[in-house]
Amino acid sequence: MHELGMARSIAAIVGEHARGRRVRGVRVAIGPRACIERQALAFCWDIVTEGTGLAGATLGFVEAEGETFTVKDYEIREDA
Amino acid sequence: MCGICGCADPTNQVTMTDMASGKTSTLRSAMPDGLSAAEAHAFAHAHGLPHDHDHDHDHAHDHDHAHDHGHPHPAAATAQHGGTVALETAILAKNDAIAERNRGWFEGRGVLALNFVSSPGAGKTALLEATIKALAGQVVITVIEGDQMTSNDADRIRAAGAAAIQINTGAGCHLEADMVAEAARALDPPPGSLLLIENVGNLVCPAMFDLGEAMKIAVISTTEGEDKPLKYPHMFRAVQIVIINKMDLAPHVGFDEATCRANIRTVNPDAEIICLSAKTGQNLKSWLDRLMELRGTI
Repeated sequence: MHELGMARSIAAIVGEHARGRRVRGVRVAIGPRACIERQALAFCWDIVTEGTGLAGATLGFVEAEGETFTVKDYEIREDA
Repeated sequence: MCGICGCADPTNQVTMTDMASGKTSTLRSAMPDGLSAAEAHAFAHAHGLPHDHDHDHDHAHDHDHAHDHGHPHPAAATAQHGGTVALETAILAKNDAIAERNRGWFEGRGVLALNFVSSPGAGKTALLEATIKALAGQVVITVIEGDQMTSNDADRIRAAGAAAIQINTGAGCHLEADMVAEAARALDPPPGSLLLIENVGNLVCPAMFDLGEAMKIAVISTTEGEDKPLKYPHMFRAVQIVIINKMDLAPHVGFDEATCRANIRTVNPDAEIICLSAKTGQNLKSWLDRLMELRGTI
């Protein structure tokens, strides 16, 4: 249920760093004890990015340890 | 999930009601795109990110404008045209930073803050009521109540004799550190007092959010069955004390205390377990003794 807030936080973090450059994709590192459901997060990601500068950016997942829950990196579009 | 629980509602608001004055204030209104432009700009400054200002007035730039204070984001600075930018930014960092500030505030004041979590109906409010009544005249207790709607719980706490702030999270399923920061300042708990935070009844989400408390305490009740700790291991791992409430009903609902204790130990071998009945007062003293012992450590 908290995945919506998490998706908003991810969008805010990436939006602040990208500063208007077009983002192709974002990768999030999630550990087995992070208490985050990936499907729910992906669902919320589409909702929160719709109509924003991050619209269309994919959300990918990277395996991590323990309670890790971080924005690992994001990819800028070549044509940006 | 979010489509079901309703937290996707963009009009969701979080409010705080001071039970003494009856005044309600808004803690949070929705920001669908994350931060406002002003906040994003403030963040860029704070982190030394390169960014542009539109100057529609003249002023002398005779100072070095390098924003160089040892907090570089080197990847962000180099990847201007395509490529991958490494961040490694903790997604809960904002909440955790506020929680740490709360923790320092509580420690500086000598206030013991405890975060009570349970499923709805386990008896958190009843336990707080019994605690407030039993310790009346011995220790000052203030309470932060978290619920999606209504001030029913804060009304009960106030009737039991403690100052209370009700936070209504709207569609939100847990308390966050910034809400507790606002409520704690409004309550102004005196040194040596207990600040009891009753989280939203939910065994999932509150496990993730540090509020700055000294510890989390789970309340489960005999009517819920013995396997709650196995079903919600994240929560039972996050707590230091588990209170098994409604022990007066145990014989009537076939509750097996030994099995429940074993299940708690399976997910959290270090958890302290206290069995009691908030309603009848059965073994309440064990909890009160432990609480006063914890208070002695602050």
